[in-house]
Amino acid sequence: MADHSTIDDTRYVGQAVRTIEGRAPIVGAARYTNDFVFPGQLYAHIVRSPHAAARIRRIDTSGALKVSGVVRVLDGAEAAAHIKPITHYIDPAVFGGKSAEVRVMAVDEVWCYGQPVAVVVAEDKRTARFAAQRIQIVYDVLEPVLDAEAATAPDARIVVPGWDSNIMMQAPFRNGDPDAAFAKAAHVVKTSVDIHRFSTQPIETRCYNAVWEHDIEGVTLYATAQNPHPLRHVLSEVLGMPESKIRVHAPVIGGAFGMKMHGHPEEALMCLLAKLTGRPVKWTETREECLLIGAREQRHHMELALDADGVILGLRDRYFANVGAPSACPGWGMAFLTGLTMPGPYAVRDIDVQMTVVITNKPSWNAARGYGKESTALALELAIEDAARQLGMDAAEIRLKNFIRAEQFPYNSPTGLVYDSGDYSGAVLKAMHAIGYEGWKARQAEGPKDGKYIGIGVAFELTPEGGALPGTMVAGYDSSSVRVAPDGSVRILTGVTTPGTGNPTGIAQIVADELGVTMDAIEVTQGDTTTCPYGFGNYSGRSTIVGGGSAALAAQQVRAKVVTVAAALFDVPEADVELHRGVFSVKGQQGRTLTFKEVCYAAYTGAYSVAHGITLPLEATATFKPSNIRHTPDENGRINPYPSYSNAAYVTVCEVDVETGKTKVLAFAAAHDCGRVINPVLVEGQACGAISFGVGGAMFEAIAFDSSGRQLTRSFMDYVMPRSEDLPAVKMVHHDSPNPVTYMGLKGAGEAGVGGSAAAVVNAINNALIPLGVSLNTLPLSAPNVWGAIQAARKRGQREAAE
Amino acid sequence: MMDDLLVQSVLVQWRVNGKLHEIEAMPGMSLLDAVREQLGLTGTHMGCQTGHCGACTVMLDGRIVKSCLTQAATLPRAEIVTIEGLKRADGTLNPVQQAFWDEAGFQCGYCAPGMLLSAMELLAEHPDPTDAQIDTGLAGNLCRCTGYRSLVRAVKAAAAKMRETS
Repeated sequence: MADHSTIDDTRYVGQAVRTIEGRAPIVGAARYTNDFVFPGQLYAHIVRSPHAAARIRRIDTSGALKVSGVVRVLDGAEAAAHIKPITHYIDPAVFGGKSAEVRVMAVDEVWCYGQPVAVVVAEDKRTARFAAQRIQIVYDVLEPVLDAEAATAPDARIVVPGWDSNIMMQAPFRNGDPDAAFAKAAHVVKTSVDIHRFSTQPIETRCYNAVWEHDIEGVTLYATAQNPHPLRHVLSEVLGMPESKIRVHAPVIGGAFGMKMHGHPEEALMCLLAKLTGRPVKWTETREECLLIGAREQRHHMELALDADGVILGLRDRYFANVGAPSACPGWGMAFLTGLTMPGPYAVRDIDVQMTVVITNKPSWNAARGYGKESTALALELAIEDAARQLGMDAAEIRLKNFIRAEQFPYNSPTGLVYDSGDYSGAVLKAMHAIGYEGWKARQAEGPKDGKYIGIGVAFELTPEGGALPGTMVAGYDSSSVRVAPDGSVRILTGVTTPGTGNPTGIAQIVADELGVTMDAIEVTQGDTTTCPYGFGNYSGRSTIVGGGSAALAAQQVRAKVVTVAAALFDVPEADVELHRGVFSVKGQQGRTLTFKEVCYAAYTGAYSVAHGITLPLEATATFKPSNIRHTPDENGRINPYPSYSNAAYVTVCEVDVETGKTKVLAFAAAHDCGRVINPVLVEGQACGAISFGVGGAMFEAIAFDSSGRQLTRSFMDYVMPRSEDLPAVKMVHHDSPNPVTYMGLKGAGEAGVGGSAAAVVNAINNALIPLGVSLNTLPLSAPNVWGAIQAARKRGQREAAE
Repeated sequence: MMDDLLVQSVLVQWRVNGKLHEIEAMPGMSLLDAVREQLGLTGTHMGCQTGHCGACTVMLDGRIVKSCLTQAATLPRAEIVTIEGLKRADGTLNPVQQAFWDEAGFQCGYCAPGMLLSAMELLAEHPDPTDAQIDTGLAGNLCRCTGYRSLVRAVKAAAAKMRETS
């Protein structure tokens, strides 16, 4: 546990308050999307392409229609006759890229393994699945395009008909004079980093249940959706229906991590099927289907220019993102963010980074925790480790030499970002101290024991959070309402949603303090487009920054109203009224108190007396819009899409068994700067969860394909995620620098940690293998891969000895 | 429905959370589907259908099982406890539930049924479990949110509370 010695007991903020939403799951009472069943409920089963690339010659659905219990069968062409292509969450065309027409089911051609081709709707799910096997589809199989760099070759087959190449977008992130920096460098270090395909895999898969509302001829979609309002907008465009006739309700969500951001074909498809059948239609994703959603597959060719002392003079990177088939989901944007956040925490001005986003016949990406910034950290931190090895320096020392210094904030990055605050060197030193760096160094110097080599890895991650992209539904602001009833109970309605991160509790803590009530008086409502203020939901570690910030402003307005009423009741000036934890009192006069309930009831019933001076009801809606986001381009055409720049240092010790390649994390420490901490338990929960993503991604998790583009990873047997024994205790220290702009100095806390912890693990394993001459920058560093690299190095050594 | 197959259901009798039920179990129907769809007990969750994630864990005749891999029709008589049946008779939380809430053991709560039942079985066998025993006890359950540290903390807190009161 971290040390939080400066807790103010009179406030909820800063305390490890027990979560308000945490009781329902413990008694089995939380209602997730799949738990809803409506009268007349139908079930959908989707037929998916078994090929990576093929032309659809014929679809014969008659066999499925003969099965009793089948209500409707639809193929891609028929669906396309009813509804429009899916609106892109982030349209690549807005950023100068190419935008493909994405349909809910394939029309004429399939672009990837697993793409929806037809759907069966039946009275029960077994019947739907059974009937789906009776749909006959004849494909002309095409040669798949699978590797990103090969896909950019002039003779590569074009995946999207009508495009002139498979490059969806190419963009430079360039500043200064990188060529001059490389010309004067004492050392140039080249590192290729191959980041593999791994994804988020929440334990709750996706589920959509569309209910046709006969009275208004509209639709209600119960959905595992992170962003209900923006999804409603997309559905309105795809279905050709006004937003006012559509309700999106996201109940309790069982983890999301980006995967439940929208653009998925099944969202609009279920709404269409509900409309066509006039009955509720539900689809629940299988794990096999969930594993189709990719992310992060990206190859970096890095070059660092360094002077003789290890100061980085310039950085070059050519990176290729294999985003798979075209999709309306926001996954591809991760690749853009990788370039935008270069060169991370380092004070390098001369950079030449080129992004190439490539469409292939692999299944498409969706957003994944880290959103491209984890790849920035991996590429940079692995390159720096290589540089340290080549220069014979300590990697931590190179980092400390090149960090942006604490006094340089606010710092204008070479890509146009404005970093708000931080103390990167301080964080690294804290994390190194926490793990006992020198002690582990001494133990490493003793040499391997029983074939087990120890390595120490350091890494840093800068994680801009709360992002806002101009011209898209990725907004930087959000809104909340605070409503107080005559009985003094409080309901917060907010446009931000929770995938299970605890933000309702954080927001309630803020409102309890600002309004002056107890926590148990508060309920929080989220995820319903009919009741909540228009909002943008959950992404980019934003929910407490903008959800909490806006709820605080609304609570202040309501507090002003009740204080006015209390002053009238006490017959004292407003300045003399105090309100704390649901009790009003008068300054300097002991014993004169009123309860919150008494004052609220008096307000509602005293419109012509004590509440004469206020606007009833006791409600307010407010918006928090961080002032440091800048969408007006500067003289170089650059914008600052982020209000907060969380950051963290990670140090880990790994052990490698050189006979089996098996690796084990022995110790882990992190120093985290997420600004002001609202609830230390929640923040640590987020940080440990992100570390588990990083460790799992670096060591086990991978999505594999065969040479024909069929996905081999189809269950948790193949996609290996960390279990309790795989993760070490995390020694967590805070190194907070408050954000000068956000409410109370908040920074995002949800995303940071995936790339930094993954890089620390990779660096530690490579550090352990230095005596064997192994340096492995092709991820993941799973036991077979590590073993293979050790064997290759041994053979190389034997060959060299023989020569 | 499914008229192309020879389908014959099996009548099974189960006591679920103390209450007797008779169910027509179709061949191929999992215990998970029977509990969720026939009995409406949706606190038990589907996560992978291959027995790896443990979100579907229930207690069957005193031992925890993955209900997604258990065939309903193979259980003519059974005593089943789901997450809905964990509360004490007076409606309050049992010590393991209370510890998981107090220690913020979960985030999204989707893995909760499996984690709670696994923890309860673990604590029945090891009232004062070591870290390694907790890791083994939770080995059949995946959590994607917490990184497991808060779950381990919750198990230890529950163990301490139960030792104190027993």
